[in-house]
This record gives sequence, structure tokens and C-alpha cells, in this order.
Amino acid sequence: MAIAKAERLMNLALCLMNTRRPLSKKELRESIEAYREAWQHSSEEAFNRMFERDKDDLRELGLVIDVDENALDGELGYLARADRNRLPEIALDAEEAAALTLAARVWQQAKMSGAASGALQKLRAAGIPFTETERRPALEPRIPAREAAFEPLLTAARDRRPVTFEYRKAGAAAVEQRTVEPWALECWRGHWYLAGWDRDREDARVFRLSRITGKVRARSGAFLGAVPEHVDVRATVAKFAGEGATATAVVRVRRGAGFPLRTKALATRRADDSWDELEIPYGNGLGADLAEFGPDVLVVGPEELRADVIDRLRAVAGTVVESVDA
Amino acid sequence: MSNAIDQTRRMLSLVTYLRERPGAEVAEVARAFGISERELIGDLNVLPMCGTSFRGGDLLDIDTDGERIWWHNVDDVAQPLRLAADEATALLVAARAVAGLPGLRAGDREALTRAVAKIENAAGESAEGSARVGVTFEAESHVFADIDRALSEGRRLWLRYYSHGRGGMTEREVDPIRLLTEGHTYLEAWCRTSEDHRMFRLDRVAEIRVLDVPADPPKREPRDLSGGLVNPSADDPEVVVEVSSGGRWVAEYYTHDRAEELPDGGLRITLRSADPSQLRPLVLRLGRDGRIVSPPELAEQARAAALEALAHYGEGQV
Repeated sequence: MAIAKAERLMNLALCLMNTRRPLSKKELRESIEAYREAWQHSSEEAFNRMFERDKDDLRELGLVIDVDENALDGELGYLARADRNRLPEIALDAEEAAALTLAARVWQQAKMSGAASGALQKLRAAGIPFTETERRPALEPRIPAREAAFEPLLTAARDRRPVTFEYRKAGAAAVEQRTVEPWALECWRGHWYLAGWDRDREDARVFRLSRITGKVRARSGAFLGAVPEHVDVRATVAKFAGEGATATAVVRVRRGAGFPLRTKALATRRADDSWDELEIPYGNGLGADLAEFGPDVLVVGPEELRADVIDRLRAVAGTVVESVDA
Repeated sequence: MSNAIDQTRRMLSLVTYLRERPGAEVAEVARAFGISERELIGDLNVLPMCGTSFRGGDLLDIDTDGERIWWHNVDDVAQPLRLAADEATALLVAARAVAGLPGLRAGDREALTRAVAKIENAAGESAEGSARVGVTFEAESHVFADIDRALSEGRRLWLRYYSHGRGGMTEREVDPIRLLTEGHTYLEAWCRTSEDHRMFRLDRVAEIRVLDVPADPPKREPRDLSGGLVNPSADDPEVVVEVSSGGRWVAEYYTHDRAEELPDGGLRITLRSADPSQLRPLVLRLGRDGRIVSPPELAEQARAAALEALAHYGEGQV
């Protein structure tokens, strides 16, 4: 029976951490049963591939593996030095540890949730107190990341590696190939966005992860451009979503209706017995927002907004009701 | 089921943990590691196969009687390990996001802020990447204090709530269950008025009162929310909408069963709704970017609403 991967990784980690001198690949193969089997029953190449992958996996888990010449025979070897792998002294009180434990649960994405639990386990192992709190948390925040592009982009942004992906701009009929130097990821209103340098457009751009189609591929080489000190994804996205508008519009809203418009109204006055007149911020996308309210909203001005809403309503009014497809 | 990476990570911490605690109790270790006892026993079955030499017999002599765990040849290699970049990022991004959460209790916020500083310090360069990931929760806290109070005191709430589907206000009495934040903050509650489980978006609560009545929501398993907070039920009626490329956002915002590509860059989306007529705002918003395939009543309702609205602008029948 093949030896489970976790057992193999654990053995490699223990060998590398237990040695004071670099261990050659051959020595590791002799000590670790899974490698021996791969080498004997498959090939040298199969063992090499397995060994390289395992080293990468352990490095992902935070292990610093040095490659050094063995002083005895000059052969290359590997070791994980204690001083480079030790967690520095850290002391958290029970309150801090409890707060951190709750926070670590917010990730709804497998890799991040595994990494957050892993971090807590390392802290527990280092003696951070673990107190089970009976107290119900005030609320349960959740960070979703259902977008397939999330994981590869996270790694690329971490390692500062350029990526290519196919992207469908909002409203675009076709997808386009984009090559991007990923700077930062931001989750806003439950959706993930990427800010980065678009190499083809030679400009900073923000991408919505749900519009990335197909695979994200990491490209070789480093970033060509400088990474800005501060990347404000949220401001860009919020502006696109119609926030931070400076212009205003005047709309009539039927009394008792349009609660979301009323909460953002700058001024409200009574128009007649059944309508109120509201002054609201006029940002990107307001026409669609207003069309939603149908006969409960009447746009007074500006004229272009009024025309936009009328146009939208006409499209719906003209919709021919078609029979249900069999 | 955990994968090999997570299991390896856990076992590395486990040996450090066990080193300091001879005879540790299985139940307690499982709790401290946030895993089931079964998972822990699984790890304890692997560990005795691990060491520096299989043939040389240099293996971890760890065993358990199912209640306590013993490590007979403790070695000093099991030191606390530094945090990996992804570990530091996952923990720090989560902690910073939660610390910025409106409505968090002040004591929790302060504790979390102190913890973040300590973790940043201990993580060193592993913490660098965490600045490249940010999460913002919305500030929808005007009714938060009342809901928090109702939850801790187990009391019923009266709400004046905006129904997006109907476009108007509704008044209802609800038994609060929990508060959840994902993009927006929602109150999960048992609605006495509709006798059903409902998610109420906090920014749509116009008025709130904590009632002098104990809350009594039906006892149930917490719902599975892995697909999102607002999920239609499988036996809700089906709605089929065809959108052009300009309406593809519907698939991003609405939980749906299917989204099939159309030749012009559009999508044919099949979703479910307990009451399809409540999707009228969606149809109006879509305008020329969408077409309701079924049910036909929904298309007709939207059309009637659009005609009524156009009449206000002095436009007659189309």
C-alpha cells in the first residue's frame, strides 16, 4: 500500500528539523520509507519529482529549508535550521486568544480556513491559552471566496508573480486575455476584487474576480512596474458602484415606498397627498436603481436621468410575453 | 476530511503541543486543535510511523489508550514553529476585518487589536503579504445594539422592514437566532408573521423594538450556509431569465441552479424563488438586458408596472 502523503511530509519535516548538517537527497531517500518505495518501485525520476513537490509543500507550511553544501563531501544537502524555524516569543492573554479564535473562523474558503486554523494550532502548541468561551459571539462575520480565481491570485499577489487570465468586462459580449501584475485583493460587499498593473493597457486596473473566466496562470519573471505604497481597491470599486457622487437628482417617491432611497436622501419634502420629493446623490448606475421601483418613483431631473429611466421602462413595457418553452 | 497539507501542518503542531503535556486528554487536545476526536486519533495513528529513520527504528513513540496520549521518547526538536505566510495572512486579514466590524463589543475589539499587533510582531516577514489582502464589512449598525440585546436576553423583536420584492414596508414580530455578516449584515430569525425562517438585511430595517416577550424560535440544526446566506429552497418555483451580456451580473448576485452561455455573450439563468412575483424589481432593473422566459406572470407583472410608471411621465400605452 502506498504510504499516505501526510506521513511522508511529516517524515521529511522531522528529518530536516532533526539534523545539524545538510542531508543529501540520497540520505533522505534512505531514511524515509515512502521515498525508498518510490525509488525502488518507480524510478529515480519519480522519486525526484515527489521530493521536489514535498519540499515545496513544506515551504508552503512555513518551514524554512536551506540548501547547503555538506562540509564532508561537498554534496548538496537540505536542512531546516531550528533558529530559522522557531516562532518568536509571543504571549497572548485569554481574552486576546479567545478573540483571535473567533476571528479565525470567518474564512469560508478551504485554503484560508485551513491556514487560519493552522496558525492557531501553532500558537496553541507554543502555549497560547485556550479557553473555551460559552459566550455567544455578538455576530458571525463570514468571508466568502467562492471565486475560482481567488486562490491562484492570492498566491501570485503574495509572491509578486504576473498572471494571465481571460476576463469579461461588465456588459462585454466577449472575453479578453489580460496580463496583470497583481498588487492586492479586496473583498467588498461579499465580492472579491483584484487591483494590479495591466501590462497591455499600461495602466492600473481593478478586476472583479467573478468575471475572470477560465484558469489564472502564473507567468515566469518578476513585476516590471513598481508596486504603489498604498492600493485603494475599495475607492475605485465604490465609485463604480455609484458611491461618493457629488451630483444630485430630484425624484418623486410614493409615500410609504422607496425606503432605500429615503435612507440616502439629502433632503425630503412633501410634494402632494401621495408623493414626496427627494434629493438624492446621483452616481453611476442610478438609472437602473430607480427603474427597480417602477411606478413608485418618478424622476424629476436631471433630464438625462429622466430619459434613461423612461428608456428602461419602455424596454420592459415593450417586452412581448412569450409562451413558456416546452 | 482534511487534506494532507492541513494534516501535516496539524501534526507538526501536535508534537510540539504533546511534548509539553504528558498524558494529555484526547478530548481536550481535540478541542484545542479545533478537530474531532476521530481526526485526532487518525493523526495519532500516523505519528508512530514518523521519525528520522524508519529502518533505524528512530520513530516517534506516541501512543494513546483512547483517553490520554503519551509520548515516550520526547525530543527537543518539537519547538514551536514560525507562521507561514499564508497562515499569517489568513489570521491577520480575518482579525483586522473583524476588528473593524461595526457593532463589535468594545472589549472584543480592543483584545483583537492587541492580538493583531502581537501576531504581526511574531510573524515577522511572514506578515508582509497580509497587507495585500483586505476585507471590509459594511457599517449597518443603526439597529445592531437592539438586536444584540434581544439575542443576549432571548427576547422577541418587532420590526418595520422594507420588503425589496414588494417595494413596501412590512411589520413583523420575529424571534432572533443569530447575526451574520457576509457583504451585508443579516439577522437570521424565525418570523412569527410568516411562520418561516427568514434572513433580514439590517440596512432594510426601518424601525425596531425589543419586546417584553421571550423569543421562542423552533429548535433546529443551524442551516447550511456554505452556498451563501440567502438560499432559495429546492422546492421553490423555478424562474428562467435570459440576459444579454449586460445582464450577466444576475448570475453573480443571485444564487442559481444553472447558467448556460448564449451565443451572443448572454446567459440563460435558472433560479428559484419562493415567490417569483418578488423578482419584479429585478426585471425592471434589467430593462432591455433581460427577458423572463418563465413564469409568464412575472413578465406580465413587470410589464404592467412599467406601463403604470410610464403613464406618470405622460406616456400612453405602448
